[in-house]
Amino acid sequence: MIQLPEVLTLYILNTIVLSFAFIAFILSIQIVLKWDFSATTPLQYELEKKSYLGSTIIKYMFYIKIPLFLFYIFTLDKISFILPGAMCGAGVVNSSDYATMLLFLKVINLYLFAYWIVIDKQDMMDEVQTNLKKKFMLYIALFIFLLVEVLLEGVMFNAIDVKSVVDCCGAIFSTNDDTYLSMALNLSPSLLLTLFYLNFMLMLVVSFKKINYIFAVLNLLFIVISLLSLVSFFGTYIYELPTHHCPFCFLQEEYNYVGYLLYAFLFIGTFNGLVVGFVAFNRVESSKRYKLSLVFNGIYLLIVTLYPVTYFIRNGVWL
Amino acid sequence: MIKLLDVSKLYENDVTALKNINIDFKEGELVVLKGVSGSGKSSILSLIAGLSKPSSGEVIVDEKKISKMADHFISVYRRENIGFIFQKYNLISTLSVAENILLPLVPLNLKKDELEKRLSYVLKLFNIESKRHTIVKNLSGGEQQRTAIARANINSPKIILADEPTANLDEKLSLEFIEMLRDLKSQNRTIIVATHDPLFFNLEFVDRVLEVSNAEIL
Repeated sequence: MIQLPEVLTLYILNTIVLSFAFIAFILSIQIVLKWDFSATTPLQYELEKKSYLGSTIIKYMFYIKIPLFLFYIFTLDKISFILPGAMCGAGVVNSSDYATMLLFLKVINLYLFAYWIVIDKQDMMDEVQTNLKKKFMLYIALFIFLLVEVLLEGVMFNAIDVKSVVDCCGAIFSTNDDTYLSMALNLSPSLLLTLFYLNFMLMLVVSFKKINYIFAVLNLLFIVISLLSLVSFFGTYIYELPTHHCPFCFLQEEYNYVGYLLYAFLFIGTFNGLVVGFVAFNRVESSKRYKLSLVFNGIYLLIVTLYPVTYFIRNGVWL
Repeated sequence: MIKLLDVSKLYENDVTALKNINIDFKEGELVVLKGVSGSGKSSILSLIAGLSKPSSGEVIVDEKKISKMADHFISVYRRENIGFIFQKYNLISTLSVAENILLPLVPLNLKKDELEKRLSYVLKLFNIESKRHTIVKNLSGGEQQRTAIARANINSPKIILADEPTANLDEKLSLEFIEMLRDLKSQNRTIIVATHDPLFFNLEFVDRVLEVSNAEIL
C-alpha cells in the first residue's frame, strides 16, 4: 500500500464525493419510484424539492471531479518518483492490473457526468420536466460507475508495490513489440496525419450542414485519431525524441504541463461535438455546441501542429 | 384569474400556515386579506408570487399552474406578472432610488432610452422625482415606501401584492398609500393586500375583504 500525502488527499476527497453521491443516489431512487408530475400531493411537492437538491449535488460533484481527475493524474506522476523503474504516470499505470481500466473508467465517467449536466440543463428549461425521471435513472447508473471507480482507485493504490521494479513508457509504448498498441504506434505518420486533419476538415464541413449524428461520430473518431497521433507523432516533437512515445511525460513540469492543456481542450471540444448527437438542442444551443466543439478541437489541432512546425523552422529537418 | 385550489402550506417545524384554502381572485379586483400576524396572509401572497410552493394543492394564474413550474419559469413569471410591495420595503439601502427601482429590469437587458422612459414614468406617478439620485438609506419611511411601490410597478405588472404595506407608516402616509392603490386599481391591476390595518377595511374601492384566521379563510 502506498501512502503519499497526495494519495491520502485522494482517499479523503473520494470519500466526501462518494458520500454526497450516495445522498443523490437515494434521492434519485425516491424520484424514479414515486415521481408523478401531475400530482399536487405533499409527496410530489417534496420530490420536486428533492429533485433540485439531487441536481445541485450531482452538478457540484462534476465540478469537483474535473480538478480531482487532474489531481489523480498529477498523483500518478508523483508516485513515479518513488516507484523503481517508473519515469512518469505510465509506469505507475503499468504497475497495477486495475490502473488502465481505472483510467478509462475515469475518462468515461467524466464524459457521462458532463452529459448528465447537459440533459439536466435541458430538463430545467422544459416547463413540464419531461426527462426528469430519465435523468435520475441515468444518475443511478452513473452512481454505480462512480462507486466502481472509487473502489478500483482504492484497490489500485493498495496494489502498488514500491519494492517491485516496473516497466515505464519506453517499454510500454515501444514500437518493436508484437502488440496491437505497437502496431497502432507503427502506423505511418503520413496516414495518421491525413486522417487527423481530414477528420477535422470533415467536422468543419458537417458543421455547416448541421448533421448532428455524423458530427458526433466524427468527434468520437477525433478522440481516437487525436490520441493515436499524439502518442505516435506529435508527442515525439514535444519530447524532441523520435523514439519516445508516451501520453504521460508531457504532463510533467519539464514540458510545461502542456499535456493537461491538450487533454482539456480535446475533452471540451469532443464532448460538445458528441453531445449534439445525443441531445435534441434548440437551434441556438446546438449552434453554440458546434462552435465550442470546433473552437476547442481547433485549438488542440493548432497546438499539436505548432510543435513539429516550430521544430522544422528551428532545425530545418523533421524528426 | 388567480385560483388557489385546496392549497395547504406546512413549514418545516410542522407549523400549518394554510389549510385546504380555496380562493378565486378576478382580474382587476382589489382584495384585502385581513387577519392577525401568523394567520397565513403572507403565505397566500408568497404562493401567488411563486416565492414558495404549496405543500399540497394548486396555484393557478392565468391558466398556468405556477405551483408546478420549475424555478427558471417561476422567475420569468414573477418578472412579467408580479409587483411585490414588502412590509419592510426590501430596498437595497446603499443604492439610489433610481437604481432600486430599475433592479427588476436588469435581466431584461433593455436599452437605456427604454429604461429612462419607464423610470421617469414611475418616478412621476409616485411623486419621487426629486429623490431620484438620493441613496435609499437617507430617505424617510414614506419615501422608501413610494420607492418600493415604484419598483413594484416598473415592469407594469398585472398583479400587485402588498404585504402589510402600511405597517411602518403613520396615518397620513398610509392614506397617501391608499390613494396610490386607488390609482393602480383604476389601471385594472389585480391587487391583493395582506394587512391588519383597519384603514383598508371600509374603503369604497375595495372589492372584497377576506378574513384569514388560523390558516383558513373565514
